[in-house]
Amino acid sequence: MKKNLANGFALLAAMTAIAAGGNRSLAQDLAPGEYIVGPERVISDSVVGGSGNVHSGQSTGGGIVNSDSYVGDMSCGEAGCAGDATSGAGGSGLRSRLSGLGGGGSRVGDVGNIERGYGQPDLFYNYYTGGMANRANAQMYLSPVPVPPNVGHTFFTYQPFYPEEMLYWHKNKFHNYYDNGRGMNRTRATYFAPPVRQAASNLYWNKLRLPR
Amino acid sequence: MIRRIAFALLFAAGLVAGACETASAADPYAVTQVWQHNYSQNRPWHGNYYNQNYGQPTALVVPPTAHMRQTLSWGVSQNLMYPIHHQFGRSASYPGAAARGSFNHTPAWPSHTDQFGTYYVRGPW
Repeated sequence: MKKNLANGFALLAAMTAIAAGGNRSLAQDLAPGEYIVGPERVISDSVVGGSGNVHSGQSTGGGIVNSDSYVGDMSCGEAGCAGDATSGAGGSGLRSRLSGLGGGGSRVGDVGNIERGYGQPDLFYNYYTGGMANRANAQMYLSPVPVPPNVGHTFFTYQPFYPEEMLYWHKNKFHNYYDNGRGMNRTRATYFAPPVRQAASNLYWNKLRLPR
Repeated sequence: MIRRIAFALLFAAGLVAGACETASAADPYAVTQVWQHNYSQNRPWHGNYYNQNYGQPTALVVPPTAHMRQTLSWGVSQNLMYPIHHQFGRSASYPGAAARGSFNHTPAWPSHTDQFGTYYVRGPW
């Protein structure tokens, strides 16, 4: 593993050197359709058109900022993060180029870069019974049979109000992501039954009430 | 006087603390959770009967802190207690609904609580 890592570093250093050298040579003669982002081009947060993709390979070594070399400002699906289905197709710029050079994959110690990932959990996810011995399974909401798609679905969109949380005395924390996973807020909820009222209720329902 | 008040306050605090029962008090390492999960892997959550309203065995969600279920039937020795192994989880499971005729209907004269086709499954944590 350590040797792998060292090899990776050596390869990376070599690539950087090559890229820097290529940068110097390319600065004189640009192929048609290529450009280097300079002061004459406005650099903004919005994605610039894909005509400049040819240079994105240099952005690691040469310090040329290209439009599609960042990931953090767009969602993971748009940027083609690792693990995304579209990244294998090599749709855009830097990532596909690097995977082409370094032999694909974003493993640790590899030449390929590991993109920055953000949490984007489902808005609502059902719960199911598990195990290997079931002849039929139940989902917790709208159990036991799934509703056909034309009927519609039941969504609880606020996790602290899920009915399953009301079942027992506990505390829970919920994390809500927003802004494509770049922001997160935390909700702390305490579910409890007031002890005196609960004791009175237990006294009535379990002791005083006549069973009939 | 102050000592007496302090003692009374302490007593009240003790009462409140004793009344608050937490889920993991008796099992801090959640060993029984592992047992229940392992047991639920090769035991079905349902019995052999479907619920009359749904045509499928129906899961009744109970608190995840529930431990036992009781079955009632004719005869004294038929009233049994079983642990509730199954708990709702995140993994989507296969198969979903069973085909028609996979389960028995509730008999005209039911003789056991399992025959109503409603079975306990603990809710998720």
